[in-house]
Amino acid sequence: MGQKWLISGSPGCGKTTWILNTIKENQGAYGYLRLTEKSNNGQEKLPESLIDYTFLKDQAPHLQDLSDCPDTSISKYKDLLILIELSQSQSPEELEAVGKNPYVNSQLEALNLQLDRHLHFGRDSELPNNDTLVFKELASWSLNLAKSVWDPQSLNTFWFELVNGAYGDVYRAKGLMNLPDGKSIFFNWIMSQKGSQFLPLKTVSPPHGRPKRPSGLVIQGKGLDCKNIQSTINLCLLNDALLEMHQMTLRDRQSEALRTN
Amino acid sequence: MKHAVISCLHANLAAVKAVLKDIDQKGISDITCLGDLVGYGPQPNEVVDLIRERAIASCQGCWDEDIIEGLNACECSYPSQLAEKRGHLAHEWTAEQLTDINKDFLASLPTSIRRDRILFVHGSPNSQHEYLLPDMNAFAALERVDKAGADTLFCGHTHQPYVRELKNGSIRVRLQNTSNNNAEEKEINLPMRKIVNAGSVGEPRHGSTNATYVIHDDVTGEVEIKEVAYDIELTCQAIIDAGLPRIFAWRLSHGFEFAEQAEDASHVCER
Repeated sequence: MGQKWLISGSPGCGKTTWILNTIKENQGAYGYLRLTEKSNNGQEKLPESLIDYTFLKDQAPHLQDLSDCPDTSISKYKDLLILIELSQSQSPEELEAVGKNPYVNSQLEALNLQLDRHLHFGRDSELPNNDTLVFKELASWSLNLAKSVWDPQSLNTFWFELVNGAYGDVYRAKGLMNLPDGKSIFFNWIMSQKGSQFLPLKTVSPPHGRPKRPSGLVIQGKGLDCKNIQSTINLCLLNDALLEMHQMTLRDRQSEALRTN
Repeated sequence: MKHAVISCLHANLAAVKAVLKDIDQKGISDITCLGDLVGYGPQPNEVVDLIRERAIASCQGCWDEDIIEGLNACECSYPSQLAEKRGHLAHEWTAEQLTDINKDFLASLPTSIRRDRILFVHGSPNSQHEYLLPDMNAFAALERVDKAGADTLFCGHTHQPYVRELKNGSIRVRLQNTSNNNAEEKEINLPMRKIVNAGSVGEPRHGSTNATYVIHDDVTGEVEIKEVAYDIELTCQAIIDAGLPRIFAWRLSHGFEFAEQAEDASHVCER
């Protein structure tokens, strides 16, 4: 195939879902890459990229992550359909102007990527026209939750409070949350859609200690009370002793089930 | 004669004042309080002072007990780590704020108040921590009332007001007499019993932010559930000014309990 498609749109418009459906519905090899509209100042990979890629890879194990490829080496993958995701949180009139964003252009140039197609949500009819909200300014807060494990009931309460406005006007929230039983759940919420999406990953970690898979949370909105979001999360995460207590019970149950089968 | 029953004040002074004003305006002077004067809310001393000043007969609630006897009077009462940590924070703050006089007052409260065949408790006759939910198994509910020797049981704790009539109850017993090999069957008909939950003044959890209480006519047996609007913003601001978690103000202003209700709310405390 050897094609390179850029999929852009506002947060929550359905880019990742569309990419997943495209991968699932078609034969062939796929690569995935995520661009940012602003410089990350060389910091570690953003939680949003980790969440999206981990979720996509779980659902489509044959997907190749190209985000860690050294610059210019992506052009080696001549047989891949490379799907490049770009989330744009500019004002609506600027949403389509990918070509005018020097930072996006510099990333494409650095990777030596010549786009074959650019599909933009809200402009191109072959993309679903999801009901997304128009916004002028969007604050974003993210947290890398690697090795963190949630108390399940506390996570329910936190998520309920978060999406119901307890910590500011949340427009979009997305997370990949680890539970003590080794499961990881993809949480997805956008203000314009009814209810949250909770999708368990197919891959489950063994209930022994802290999981190694990526985990994180991304919140976009206005007037976010980041300090209280963080302090509530701290109250929800399990310490080593409590995690072991949860997992010990689970291991005992698994052993018992094995004995009786 | 009509009397009013209030419960679960939770240190919410604006709500308590609004409810007492409503009761006063109805010309009712007999008021019974089912406990939880303090806990989570920002004005524990002010609320206890008001109840003492007005000499309102009160039972001891689970929060009143915990403040006196220390945390974890019932370790099973928190449904999540978050609820537990928030509860502990509120407990420590309340314990620090309360004057010794008010602590002594809470310690002196009885766990139940009886007036003939009417019993007033916070949770259930078994424990301040037990929830008598409206959909609790009818036989278990009947057992709680009957064992306590009451016709009408007033309780709170769930923060959801309701009136439940337990009628047409009967127990059929089959006794096998081993000496003559005859089976003897007995049917015991139980008289009607009533459970009245007064809801909550200071921390409503019934789908509205209004405070609730009940009025009971001890001649006709009629029970009215009352809702009273109060200045929630005043209490929310007091929560923030007191340095309590802002989330308490948000939850209160949306009609949610400060902490979640236990998943197995009908559990019996084993303490």
